Formats: sequence, structure tokens, C-alpha cells
Amino acid sequence: MPEAFSDDALISLERVSFSYEGQPRPAVRDLNFQVGRGEFLGVIGPSGSGKTTLASILSGAIPHHYAGEFCGVARVMGTDSCEVGLTDISRRLGSVLQDIDAQMVASNVEDEMLYGLENFGVPHEVIPSRVSGALRACGIEELARREIATLSGGQKQKLAIAAILALRPSIMVLDEPTAALDPASSRMVFETLRKLNAEEGITVVIIEQKVALLCEFCQRVAVMDEGRLAFLGSPREVFSHSRELRELGVDSPRVTRISNQLQALGLAGAADICLSVDEAEELISRIAGGSRVREGGEARPTPGEACLGSGGAPLLLLEDVRFSYPGGEEVLKGLSLELAPGELLAVVGENGAGKTTATKLMNGILKPSSGTVTIAGLDTRRARTSEIARRVSTLFQDPDRQICKESVVEEVAFSLRLLGVGETEALSRARDTVEHFGLPACAAPFSLGRGQRQIVALASVVVTNPQLLILDEPTSGLDYRECMVVMEAVEAAREQGCAVVMVCHDMEVVSDFATRMLVVDDGRAVADGLPHELFADEALMRRARVAAPQVLELSRRLSASVSRAFEGASEVSDVVSVTKGLVG
Amino acid sequence: MSSVLDYSEGHTSLHRANPVAKLALAICVCLAAFLSQSPLMLLGIIAFLVATGVYAGMLRRTLALLAGFSLLALLMFVVQTALVRQGTPLLLWVTDVGLQTGLRVALRLVAFAMPLVMMLSLTRLTDLANASVELLHVPYRYAFTITTALRFVPIFSDQMSKIVEAQTARGVEFDTPNPLRKLHLMLPLAAPLLISSVARADATALAAEERGFYLRRRSSSYKRYPLVATDALCVLPGLVLVVLGILF
Repeated sequence: MPEAFSDDALISLERVSFSYEGQPRPAVRDLNFQVGRGEFLGVIGPSGSGKTTLASILSGAIPHHYAGEFCGVARVMGTDSCEVGLTDISRRLGSVLQDIDAQMVASNVEDEMLYGLENFGVPHEVIPSRVSGALRACGIEELARREIATLSGGQKQKLAIAAILALRPSIMVLDEPTAALDPASSRMVFETLRKLNAEEGITVVIIEQKVALLCEFCQRVAVMDEGRLAFLGSPREVFSHSRELRELGVDSPRVTRISNQLQALGLAGAADICLSVDEAEELISRIAGGSRVREGGEARPTPGEACLGSGGAPLLLLEDVRFSYPGGEEVLKGLSLELAPGELLAVVGENGAGKTTATKLMNGILKPSSGTVTIAGLDTRRARTSEIARRVSTLFQDPDRQICKESVVEEVAFSLRLLGVGETEALSRARDTVEHFGLPACAAPFSLGRGQRQIVALASVVVTNPQLLILDEPTSGLDYRECMVVMEAVEAAREQGCAVVMVCHDMEVVSDFATRMLVVDDGRAVADGLPHELFADEALMRRARVAAPQVLELSRRLSASVSRAFEGASEVSDVVSVTKGLVG
Repeated sequence: MSSVLDYSEGHTSLHRANPVAKLALAICVCLAAFLSQSPLMLLGIIAFLVATGVYAGMLRRTLALLAGFSLLALLMFVVQTALVRQGTPLLLWVTDVGLQTGLRVALRLVAFAMPLVMMLSLTRLTDLANASVELLHVPYRYAFTITTALRFVPIFSDQMSKIVEAQTARGVEFDTPNPLRKLHLMLPLAAPLLISSVARADATALAAEERGFYLRRRSSSYKRYPLVATDALCVLPGLVLVVLGILF
């Protein structure tokens, strides 16, 4: 998308293309855009669309760190990035990498903060004020003496931002800084960036998959597709194309999809593009004829109710389970639950609440300190983990930990061979599964993109037809299309009677797919029930540091302010059809 | 994630001592262990190391370290007794000379290996790198590379245990009681570990470069590391042990 170039742009890209060494196709091609002083720009796009390559070009890592063919001109504060070194670019532009642990160059917070200041020759007398100022701006002053290994994911992310902020860059480029964070921590990172943007005038470019946050915090959004810029504009402009975005593999905020569908039905005007629940509530109230409460509407049946009380014997049973790591504090403090075949239990809660530890107890990797975990009658304390694996499959958050074979089909067949299936049958079943997922059977798994590797890991898990499927953040870092592939496969397994436990920070996914939700806080189950009912409990959501999905929040508000017919509406189409019904 | 290389928080004079002085002490103890021929002297060195661990408030970690190296030492002892054929046979294949040699080798292994690891537990790696640059004039890029490699040891070890966990959950028999089978099963996991390790090392190099790595000079460090009188006191026991090692 060509753009008129202005002289005061802090970043400008002119016909920029880049191909990594040995790769036939360019990772980005013909990029033309600029970022103005004090701007907050969000970048979104499907996996493999060139987002991280764009971040590397902006930070100067391309062409200075990664080898390949670079064409065009990338200017940072007026300087051609090819004509100066990476260090010179870094004096003006601070970069926060995708792998936050790799970003750390020291083992404690103080040394991490000092590192860049020392290297760039900041006078020693001003270093203490720079360090304390940056820590204060990020709200982590109290962590100054801590070892980095003891910090939570959110705290590490803020430290990475503070270490860059102390250098007083004019521009900050961040690559998916909230990928592993819970919703509350993700919001805190964005709020910190907004504060820096507003108060310090720092220009922010952030690559992110969380569309609701992009809409709320960014002034402009760029959408990448196959290395090109597909859309660039205000969030309202960009997300008005929600149908085209979905075809690219980019989700839009659910409230935007609602307003777009209302527009298509002629119920809303072209300017009525909603980016937040407040805006959607206002629009629908207006369409439905005012904000007065209408009586007489019938409450909708709620999703998930059909799955309750399935009455089957529990496949998974946790009874007063307690667990402590050696030499550590108690992580689980008396967790009890039952899970029947065909249920999909979403486990939600903030980082460090004990969710992942709970899943490791369910697959036998960890044994409870007290209490019992029983899977299909098998007590995990008495059974070997490899024996439990015959009943339970786990999809880990990082697929690279699961992959160990040279081709995709061998990787999938390996799961079957571990269960004692013969070579020929294992390969045959693996080929069918690989084909079902549309994966390249002969490709080396590590040569595929992150999303594809996650689907390889998923294929290796579902091919065994487990009785219990455990998913730890199955959609983290995936684009919309990949997310749907993963969740549809999970749904298919559930429909065949597999019980599913899913740890998830994406409440839209929880709302769309979970039949039950368990809220974990400080090692305890604080609520267990239907997702839409628990999402309606504001105090519980605050305690669990979780935000209710937009559609449920909107329907809750509309049922109170417009009509009871909105009660329980959990999908975009539900809200649209109720609105249409009220008008018609 | 915790490992024997993690810094052990504390406020003793050993914690506060100059990193170069602690390094000198550790090297002296290693040298004494290398020079000493007497099993009693070697036992004395090990006792000194345990006492140092107690003083530094890290007895549990010191004992864990001692236990770990003792297992390796036991293996060395058995191998030595089998290899040395001189002397009078005592029991089975063991001769009196073999017994003495095996004992000496085993104790020396423990006394030689423990000091450097203990020094790393009592010194922040950043301080060690900065002090080495300031006082020993080690080029910063070497000091950074070595300390980063040491910092990566527990990180990669944690990564490996997570890979093993994931494979165990898949059904790979890492929970087998047979150590040889376990080793055989671990070999194919070298690939994922190597790939993730290389990617992480590269990302760290990029992060360091983007924060001015190539601009660093000897005077860049905000903290200064002057040698003071108490640092001499820190090295003194090491020198005494070297003399004793030469004598015994």
C-alpha cells in the first residue's frame, strides 16, 4: 500500500524486501510505510506473514545480524539502516525480542538494567537515576535486587522493557511481548507502553496477536500477509474489513464482527464500527430503540448446559491433591475435581496459579504429595508415567519439546509405536492423520513454522485416540486459522468421548469450546461450572485476573439494559440475530 | 529451576570478597589437590571445603555437590583398582598399591572439582566477568562468552528436563529403572535440545549487540572491583593449602 512520505517520520520503509539466506521466497516484499513521531503502531498477521522479519528490519537486526538479500531503503530517524551499524541504530531504537529469556544477558535485575547503560557510556553519576526511573515507569521498583530466575513471566517482560527504557530510546519495537502472559499481565504490559508513549513520547511498534488489545491501545494497525502489507490504518478502518481479515487468518474483535454484521444487514451505518464492548452496547441500544429495559424477551438457552450432568463415570478424578516442588512452597493446596468422558474442562487463572502443575499431575509426570489422582481407575502414584501415557496424551505449549523425529510422518507414527502399534500400521495411521491435517508428510518438522510445528505435535497427540487429552495453552502464538485447526481437532476428539483438560489464557477460545470451566487461584479451585455463568461473576474474574469474553460481557450488559433476550448469547451470530429480532 | 551453578545469596565476607580473590582461592585449592599425594591431606582439603560451605551458609548445596562428585569418585576408584596390577593382592582384583592409588585419585577428583563450582555459587557471574576485565585485563568479549556459557548451563539443563518430561508424557520410558536404557532413549533428544539452544544463544547474542556489546571498554562497568586487605585474607588459606600440598 503506497504512502506519501513525510520528513518527520521516525521510521520509513521504501520498497523493502528481504529473503533469508538459502530461502527461495522473500520473507517480506515491497514494504512501503512510515511511522510518525509519538505513534503507537500495532502489527498483526498470520503465522509466517513476515511480522518478526519486519521487527528485525526496523531494529536493524536485518541486514546486520541475519544474512540474506536486502532490497530497498529502511530509515530509522532519517538514517539508512544499511549505512550504519546495528549498535548505532540501537542508540535510537530499543528492541524487545520474542523469546524474553533469551533477551536477558545477566542473572539479576540490577545487572540486567546496568548492561546497556554501561556499554553505551552513560555517565556513571546519572546511571542510578536512569535505572530507578525506568524501573518505576514499569512499576517494578521493588524487584531491583531480585534474581531473574525468580521472576514471573509478566515481571520478566516488564524488566525487558525497563532495561530498554533506561537507554531512553526514541522508538521501541516489541515482538509479541504478551504471548505467554495471562490476560491481566498482557493488559499491564500494554498499559505500561501506553504510559511511556503518552508521557515520554516514545514511539511504539508492537507485534501482537491479541486483537482486542491492539484495538484499545494502538493508533494505527498494520496487517501483514505473505510478506506484504495488506492493510494499514486506524483500528476502526482496518477491522471494518473483518471478512477479508478472516480469510487472511487474522481475527477481529468479536464486537467489531457484530457491528460489521449489523452493517451488512443494514441495521448500522458505515461509520458504526465498534472496537469495544462500550461502543457495541451503545450501538445496539440505539438500534434496538433506546437503552430502556424491555420486558418479556425470553432468555436464550445457554451453551454447555447440554453437556452438564452427562452422568458417566469420571475418567479423571483428583481428590484433595496437594503438591510441592522439592524445597519449595506448596503449589497445589487441596485440588479436587471429576471429569467425565466428552467434557472439555478449561482451566483458567493467572500465571503461577498452579494450572500447569495440575496438568503434570494429571499425566503422571508429577506425583501428588498427598491426595490421589486416578485416571480410568489407574492411581498415578502406583503407575509409571509411560504406562499412564497409554490413556493420556498431552499437547505442551512448546511443540519443540515433543518433536524428535526427522520427518512429520515418522513423528506422528512414533506416538503409535510407543503404544506398541506395529511399524506398518503405525505408518499407515500416521499418513492418514498427517493428510487430515494437511501437513507435508516428508518435511523435517523443525523446518516448518511455529504454527505448523504445533499442528504436528497435535497430530502426534490425537493419532493415539487417548481417553484423556491435556492441552497446555494450545492456541498460544497461533494465528486464527491455525487456532481453528487445533480446536476443531480437539472438538472432534471430545465428540468421540475423549475427556479434555485445557489450560488457556484466551477466553474467547474458552467461551467457544469449553463445556466446563475451572478457575484456579493460588493452588486452589475457587470455582467450577459453566463458562458463561462463571464469566458473569465479576468478582471471580477479578480474583482470577481474567477478563470475560467480549460477547458474553456485551450480552450480560444488553440483557440488563435492552432486553432479556440477550441473556446467555455467547456468539456473534446470537447477538446479531437477537438484535435483528428486536428491530424486526 | 535451580542448579549448583546458581548464585547463593548471602552477606558473609566470602560473598563480599573480590571475585578475583575468590577465583584465586579456588585455583589455589585446586592446585593443592593436584600437588598433594597424601589421602589424609586430600581429606583435609575436602574438610576445608565443607567448612567453607558451612561458613557461607550453603551447607546443603555443598553436601549435594560432595555427594554428586563422590559418586563419580567411586567409579574412578573402582576403575583404578582394576587397572593397577602392582603390589600385593588384598581382595578379589584389588592390590594394596591399587587401593592406595584408587583412593588418592578418587579423593583428588573431589578436592579438585569442588572449589571452582563453590566459587561460582558465591560469585555473581556478572561480577566475575567485570572484575576479570578490570583487574586481570581479560578482554570483555571472552569474559562475557565464558560467563554466558556458565549462565546457560542451568537454562539448558532445565530445557532438557522439559524435553524429557514431554517425551515421558508421550510414552517414552524415561521412567525406566535401567540407566543404560535411559541413556539410549535420551540420545535422540539431542536434536531438539541443540536446535533450541542454538536459537537461544543466537537471540542472546543479538540482544547483547543491540545493547552496545561492541562498545564496552574496561572502564564501562558501573561497579568497581578494587582489591582490599580482606581479599588477601581470603586468598591466604589457599596459599597455605598449596604449601601443605607440596609438603604432603
